[in-house]
Amino acid sequence: MLGRVLRSALLILAVGAFLRANDIDGTIVVQHKLTKRKVTASADLYQRGAAVKLGADREQDPLDYERSHVVVYVEGDLPSSPITAELAQQDRRFSPDLVVVPAGSTVSFPNMDPIFHNVFSLSKAKSFDLGNYPQGKTRTVVFPKPGIVFVDCHLHPNMSAVIVVTPNRWSTKADASGRFVLPDLPPGTYTVVAWHKAAGFFRKTVRVTDAGNAAVEFVIPLGEDGAVQEARK
Amino acid sequence: MRFATRAFLWSFIPFALLLAGSFWVIQQRVQTTVRGGLRSSLREAHMSMARLQKENELQNSRFLQIVAENPSLKAGLQLLLSDRKSGAAQRTVEDQLREIAETLRFDFLLISNSDGLPLAGIVRVDDQLVALDIHRLAPPQQGFFTLGGSTYQVASFPIDTNSENIGVLSIGERFDLSELSTPTVLARNGKVLRSSVPNASAAELEAALGRCGERAECETQLAGGTYLTLAADSIDFGDGYTLRSLQSVDSVSDPVQGVLRKVFLFASLGALFAAAALSFFSSRSIVRPIGAVVASLRESELTGTLPTFQTTPQTIQEIRELTESFNRAAATVHESRESLQQAYEEFVGSLASSLDARDDYTAGHSRRVSEYSCVIAEEMHIGDRDLEVIRVGALLHDIGKIGVMDSVLRKAGKLTGEEVMLVQQHPSIGRRILEGVRGFQVYLPIVELHHENWNGTGYPLHLCDVKVPLGARIVHVADAYDAMLELKRFAGVQFDPGVVQALIRAEQKGRINRVAQDPAPSRRLLSVSRAAAERESLEGSMLEGKLG
Repeated sequence: MLGRVLRSALLILAVGAFLRANDIDGTIVVQHKLTKRKVTASADLYQRGAAVKLGADREQDPLDYERSHVVVYVEGDLPSSPITAELAQQDRRFSPDLVVVPAGSTVSFPNMDPIFHNVFSLSKAKSFDLGNYPQGKTRTVVFPKPGIVFVDCHLHPNMSAVIVVTPNRWSTKADASGRFVLPDLPPGTYTVVAWHKAAGFFRKTVRVTDAGNAAVEFVIPLGEDGAVQEARK
Repeated sequence: MRFATRAFLWSFIPFALLLAGSFWVIQQRVQTTVRGGLRSSLREAHMSMARLQKENELQNSRFLQIVAENPSLKAGLQLLLSDRKSGAAQRTVEDQLREIAETLRFDFLLISNSDGLPLAGIVRVDDQLVALDIHRLAPPQQGFFTLGGSTYQVASFPIDTNSENIGVLSIGERFDLSELSTPTVLARNGKVLRSSVPNASAAELEAALGRCGERAECETQLAGGTYLTLAADSIDFGDGYTLRSLQSVDSVSDPVQGVLRKVFLFASLGALFAAAALSFFSSRSIVRPIGAVVASLRESELTGTLPTFQTTPQTIQEIRELTESFNRAAATVHESRESLQQAYEEFVGSLASSLDARDDYTAGHSRRVSEYSCVIAEEMHIGDRDLEVIRVGALLHDIGKIGVMDSVLRKAGKLTGEEVMLVQQHPSIGRRILEGVRGFQVYLPIVELHHENWNGTGYPLHLCDVKVPLGARIVHVADAYDAMLELKRFAGVQFDPGVVQALIRAEQKGRINRVAQDPAPSRRLLSVSRAAAERESLEGSMLEGKLG
């Protein structure tokens, strides 16, 4: 394990010594709503008299929401750097509802609500069941394999979150305007993947040179011309 | 009672009785029909209610089975079962129940363990779903449940996992009577919980339904009206709960009764008028002819003559028969009266004749005086009635001489003063004789006063001029004429000059001679000596003249 890490570090250093790393600047273009979300309207009705207030969605442009829920990462055997992330249960929702972590990372699931939650996942990448636990308690899970992990609560069927475990550390979420940066990639040809929960995977090949930042644009879903997205390969 | 009144009563009373009787019968019929209709409508309402209930139950049971199969609810229940003391676990399940209640619009949700011990529940109060204090309340799993002024209808479903029962889910909806088509009362052990009966307080309802007792169907008084009530006994509502629907009998029957009353009012007014008109016209056709008969009879009462009625073919047969038989009776009476008159005349005549027969000297005198008097009276245009009185009165004028002794009356030669006195009593004697005879009163003045002189020198009362009745004056003249040869001499002294003038006129017309020459039967019968009579009369007259 340690040897592999050292080797990777050496590789990066070596590449860095000879080649100047550059960023991939990307844009996500979402032309229309991808998910049929019920936004805040029903929440008021739903939570009358409830012990735990149901978290309300922020007033947000639906397309901003869609853009900020697109995960972008680079495929390939690149070095990973595991992190520790948090996916809390608060106001009978998972917060945040989308977490991106490189493989090997640890995610903790603290319960902030005065009621029980029972977090579980049946996804191929990682299945787990944390059991019932009350407020103040937390559980942690390590995600060694890349993949999409859907997280649910046994007690609250409306609660749902996604943990995207990426193969390496080059991964990010687009911002509300659809911009993202995958920084410091050594020159080379990469497959950049964009994933949206409803729209699926989109792949694009990007060539990073030492001349400058590479740019990539994803149009989600398919463009009007019907051109097959490379991502489907 | 007048005939019209009687006819009115006889025609109106049967009408009134008939109307009142039919009104009563129809009213009873309406009441029965209304009650029958209400009863069947109540029964129908109950049947549809029961059907609806059953359908709802079936539908709810299918649908609630799915709710009971909710895996997160099961997970919640299992969590709660594993940690019963935990407030967080209870809150968790309450939250889940709230979610179900909000989504499916239930008003009451309760979860119990397999032994029926309540674990967590929520109820909708003022549109807020609040947690039930399950330690204090004992909500039922079936039937009705009352909490905070609301009544919920509750049904329960088992929550099973792997064919093992782990608990019970009870679901309730607020029981709303306003959904029912008929006014309904929900009561528990006689205490009213809910009512959709308008204008009736719970206490009134309790009292009214208390009178019904255990009877499913009954009629009771409520708020001054009659109500028909039926208990929904085909549906089991659980521990002590009864559901009764009520229908106001009055509200249904009143409009009909109102129409009936109006109809009968008009009918009875019509009958009243019809009876009045009928009796008026029918009685008038009888009363008018009878009234005419009565009026003329009343008149005849005054006049003493019996009328004869005229009948026309239009007259009612009975009236015609009545008047005809009256006419026949009147004719008979008339006849008998005439024969009586005849007999009476004959009697008077024979009385006069017997008087005249006493003395040759006076033979035929009375009859002649009577005839002279009649002639004079006719000349004076005296009416038939008075003429008749004068005629008979003249026949009788000397009747009093019966009481004068023959020796005086038939004395030849001059009478003494005493004898004159006796002769002069004959008018008074005549009066006394006839006074006692009924029907002869009318002749008394003639008999008594036929010797009164115009100048008041006559006897017996010494009356003068018109104080003496005309009949007596006429007879006086006729008497004297028969007696006197020289009448004119005595005019203005002894006799009424008017009467003497009448006599002279009659003589000039030759009527007097006719009387004198007429061979009257009485004269023949009595063979009187005219000369003797004249002498007596003249003598008497001269005597009277001397006295005056």
